[in-house]
Amino acid sequence: MSNPANLQLTQSGELRHFLTAEGLDRLMLERILDTADSFVVIGHQEVKKVPLLRGRTVVNLFFENSTRTRSTFELAAQRLSADVLTLDIKTSATSKGESLLDTLRNLRAMHSDMFVIRHGDSGAAHFIAQQVTPDVAIINAGDGRHAHPTQAMLDMLTIRRHKGKFEPLSVAIVGDIMHSRVARDQIHALKTLGCKDIRLVGPNTLMPNYIDSMGVSIHTDMNQGIDGVDVVIMLRLQTERMAAAFLPSAGEYFRLYGLTRQRLKQAKPDAIVMHPGPINRGIEIESAVADGPQSMILNQVGYGIAVRMAIMSMAMSGQIQQRQASASNPLSAEKRS
Amino acid sequence: MNLIIRGARLVDPSLDLDTVTDLHVNKGVISAIGDLGATQASTEIDAKGMLLCPSFVDLHTCLRDLNQVQKGTIASETQAASSAGFSHLCPSPDTQPCSDAGSVISMIINKAEAAGFCALLPVAALTKDLAGTQLSNMEALSRAGCIGFSNAGHDISDNTVLLRCYEYADTFGLKVIVQAQDHALGQGHMHAGPTATRMGLDGIPVLAETLAISRHLQFMQHTGVSGHFNQVSSAAGVELIRQAKAQGMAITADVGIAHLCFTDTAVEGYSSQYHMQPPLRSESDRKALIQGIVDGTIDAICSAHQPHESAAKCAPFAATATGMATYDMLIPLALQLVESGQLTTQQLISALSTKAACIALSDVPSLEVGKVANLSLIDPNHSWQLTCASQISHGTNQALDQKHLQGRVCLTLYNGQVSYKR
Repeated sequence: MSNPANLQLTQSGELRHFLTAEGLDRLMLERILDTADSFVVIGHQEVKKVPLLRGRTVVNLFFENSTRTRSTFELAAQRLSADVLTLDIKTSATSKGESLLDTLRNLRAMHSDMFVIRHGDSGAAHFIAQQVTPDVAIINAGDGRHAHPTQAMLDMLTIRRHKGKFEPLSVAIVGDIMHSRVARDQIHALKTLGCKDIRLVGPNTLMPNYIDSMGVSIHTDMNQGIDGVDVVIMLRLQTERMAAAFLPSAGEYFRLYGLTRQRLKQAKPDAIVMHPGPINRGIEIESAVADGPQSMILNQVGYGIAVRMAIMSMAMSGQIQQRQASASNPLSAEKRS
Repeated sequence: MNLIIRGARLVDPSLDLDTVTDLHVNKGVISAIGDLGATQASTEIDAKGMLLCPSFVDLHTCLRDLNQVQKGTIASETQAASSAGFSHLCPSPDTQPCSDAGSVISMIINKAEAAGFCALLPVAALTKDLAGTQLSNMEALSRAGCIGFSNAGHDISDNTVLLRCYEYADTFGLKVIVQAQDHALGQGHMHAGPTATRMGLDGIPVLAETLAISRHLQFMQHTGVSGHFNQVSSAAGVELIRQAKAQGMAITADVGIAHLCFTDTAVEGYSSQYHMQPPLRSESDRKALIQGIVDGTIDAICSAHQPHESAAKCAPFAATATGMATYDMLIPLALQLVESGQLTTQQLISALSTKAACIALSDVPSLEVGKVANLSLIDPNHSWQLTCASQISHGTNQALDQKHLQGRVCLTLYNGQVSYKR
């Protein structure tokens, strides 16, 4: 499978899994954003529920801790009227030695329709979609350092709603690119949506080798990196990076790469500031910036629910289509048992 | 046994032989080569278009067995090796239990003898339990039949211990075999390149290999021990070995068949069948490995066969076991290197047989009249489909499962006996 899109789309080109933004075309990404836009409106209504996933079972499988992503996924599924089951896998079967494969097959046998998966290994969602449960819609809620496509899409929605078209924009992604699953997907999505100036900013220890092959420019100097940009995306710096010798100290990192009011002046005056959260105040971002007028950090959270509703409803409808096509073809290998 | 193979292309680099003719094996011994026109034998094979060469010697393989029979047994894996044209195998010491005791070595050799497909020339552990702290009983292990000592993929971080390993090996003139990869830098899951970065998999830089090769070369130079490097994977690694050989060091090296044929892009889509240690590297590295064989820097091609049960490869990429079951696909892959003009037939046979044998054996398999028959007959034109279900190896980690391939061994003779016949 050289093109991830093959796995994510039905034969007629509809979304059936959402594993990464890589390989999806502009039309598909724009459809996700358009659908999400309509759900943003629903979020502002008195009654926030729509019946798109009524009678469907969504299982949230979180093999890694997460509060924000998990709760927005839960809320998104509930607003789509699905039955939602959230499993904290760390404390359940796999800790008793059951393999990931068997855990998932058991959940599939309970006639689940969708798995939302966060896992520490890159490619975990691909593995599940490809080999374990191809007839259950898989939504990647973050796999290792690889992808976090719903976060990337909510970032795209934030940019589109506040900046309009992507073509003329300059976007800087700052910080721990190396360990970021978000950055890779943001790059794919930004490129596909037409953004031509994508800059990565950080020290060489946090910059993956060969990342320039993804069509981005690399900057080790923060002032230069955010000079004249329209969007500054700050990434979270895990405190364990200091112990693992990626950085000497939090203080030095903040001095060189922290986003302060002073430094933000390098960007365009109307530049927006984003962060996937949770933020480390005083390590990668100054409080005055995080809470300031250019910050989109809380808007992002709200858009996160709308984007996840859009992706879940689109993937569910693609998956049902695929199942119906498989059911009508007796030779199909993907028939539900 | 009375066998005449008629009209094959006989290639034996040790005899500088490359000619189309007949070969007669009588009572297990090569009794005649040349036009055998009227001579008759109880078994005759019309081998026009086929390749007849000395049997192969595998300098690096894992046969599992003992406590890993779910992955393969010595009987199943030596049979698979025989079906790929091998007669002699050097199994890696990372067995369970570890090959650090004479009794384990004897058991491995005896099991292979009982199966009767190949002779084993085991590599024993350089340190006890491969733990990198205490010397193994090298002299006793050597008497039990080991041809060399390796710490396999396990680290010896303490240079004092490593120096003593070399000094002790040197005492008895023993060979040290190295899988060169720096332990800390080798913690990733694939070659550090654009594909790893895009897929978010931890990369293993070429530096992991070059640091380790340089380190071991210094110990080899210091002690004068004759060393061998298993599974060189990078262009820079080949260059270090080239330089060391140019300085006159008594070292040799091999490369795994997979590293000659695949690159890191095969991992695309998280294909765990291509999860390997050392990792598959870039196309320029692959080309440099080929060039290493062409110019003699790399002596031998090994199988690096590592059979696994299906569950070992069925997990998210990083959690899967490393290694490929290679015996069933080795010949089609190797012939493809010749077909595409990357190697000559002589270079290929030399790397699989003659030069590999010189590293591990005193009596090198050859087509010389009067020698006990150790040979393989290959049909380069045979088209077939490889499937896990029908292959001989128990390893289901078959990268080319369901693929249509060309070229197959028809017959292998080991120690004068038919060990494989298709």
